[in-house]
Amino acid sequence: MTTVVLAGPAGESAHDGGPHPESPARVVAAMKGVHDLHLGSDLVTVDVGPASREDLARVHSLRYLDELEAFSGRGGGALDPDTFVTSDSWDAACRAAGAGLAAVAELERRRDGVGFVAARPPGHHAVRSRGMGFCLLNNVAVTAASLVAGGARVAIVDWDVHHGNGTQEIFWDEPAVLYISTHQSPLYPGTGRPDEIGGARARGKTVNIPLPPGATGDVVSLAFSEVVAPAVDSFVPDWILVSCGFDAHRADPLAELALSSADFAALAATVQQLAPCGGRTVLFLEGGYDLQAVRRSTASTIGALVGDRTFPEDPTFGGPGADAVRAATMLRERALSEVDKECSGGGSLDAPHTGSRGAPTTRLRSDW
Amino acid sequence: MSVPRLIAVGYDGSADSVAALRWGAEIASTIGARLRIVHAVGLLEHAGLSGRCSPHEQAATDVACRVGLDIAQVEWRVRDGEPAAVLRRETLGDDAADLLVVGTRGAGAHGGGTLGSTSLDLAQTATVPVVVVAG
Repeated sequence: MTTVVLAGPAGESAHDGGPHPESPARVVAAMKGVHDLHLGSDLVTVDVGPASREDLARVHSLRYLDELEAFSGRGGGALDPDTFVTSDSWDAACRAAGAGLAAVAELERRRDGVGFVAARPPGHHAVRSRGMGFCLLNNVAVTAASLVAGGARVAIVDWDVHHGNGTQEIFWDEPAVLYISTHQSPLYPGTGRPDEIGGARARGKTVNIPLPPGATGDVVSLAFSEVVAPAVDSFVPDWILVSCGFDAHRADPLAELALSSADFAALAATVQQLAPCGGRTVLFLEGGYDLQAVRRSTASTIGALVGDRTFPEDPTFGGPGADAVRAATMLRERALSEVDKECSGGGSLDAPHTGSRGAPTTRLRSDW
Repeated sequence: MSVPRLIAVGYDGSADSVAALRWGAEIASTIGARLRIVHAVGLLEHAGLSGRCSPHEQAATDVACRVGLDIAQVEWRVRDGEPAAVLRRETLGDDAADLLVVGTRGAGAHGGGTLGSTSLDLAQTATVPVVVVAG
């Protein structure tokens, strides 16, 4: 049986914003899901320490890190209408950012297994210079950047219901990182169009597949088989990191996709087939705000990776979105081919935004 | 810079955003531009969990009309998303805004520094001029 390397819990009591859906109870629910599998000696728990400043500075500006630490030190407050900071948020965020590094270190030592990071606050909305969308530090990006610094190629698969604008922005122009997202659209944060394909040095290394509200598991699986798998296959990563939000579950209060816990298991199984030899796959808890759904989805997802196929819910079918998957594929291919044409013909692209370190909005001069 | 034809104002009901709206409406009225009032819906507001009343179209358009702008020149638009991303999108494609107007500090934001600052983000990343109006 595959060994599960569990990094966590982290954030199971700290960074508590009171009546807020991004609560410590989320990590508790995920941990219950892990323990529901009764993995025994196949579950290895690693200690989680804070990410170092060097680790954090690979993906965040020093100014932002200083301001966030100071703001938390003063007791915190509201970063924006969605995102809170408390007096212990800085320490909690640093631990959450360090958890992925701990998982990778253990997987490298063992040369086998799969990692699961049960940590919060989540990270994929945090851009280089700002936290937002419940996220303070970009956990998956910290781990990916550390791996890239060591010479690895990293694929990040993001199936959270929201687009990971922070991860996309941070690696917008990084050819050693492939970022792929399925997400509901329209929805916060409003980014993640198919024609957002990466910066000049990393054209095609950003892949976005927006899905309509109501999309079911068969639609997301279609996106994985038609877009995600070929993209990862051709990229040939050394590591696969998964931004593993469970807020695409039909019970989630913050969004309108319609997946069940069994659907996440199917996605995890697809990722496992794409994984490089010797494991090298780490799943990071991102969103997911219905506690029962988080528990069930965690158990199903990790269960699929270790060969446990007992799912408490049935897979879902019949929702809208198959056309959206095909349209996204066509739009992306059109964008890539037009970029090729414009580059070879001396045409110009809209300049990428650079103020927030390459905001991911480079697109062709067209109406889409 | 040519004279703006469409001004987009970020609006969340905060005092600063009302000031931005009033300024944008006055400019639009003076130069004969259209005004688009844009409200970005965040994670909590989308789910009805924000604990605040969502900004109301009537209240916003009233502010614009009180400074003399013709109601026919005012458009109300609500979009899911992070405010800076939503406003950047308003500057793309057909019928794109050619001037953005925002307040210095939106609803729910903390009181100092640049953490979470939509106005700073836009000032650094927008491809059209941005006016930041102090409340």
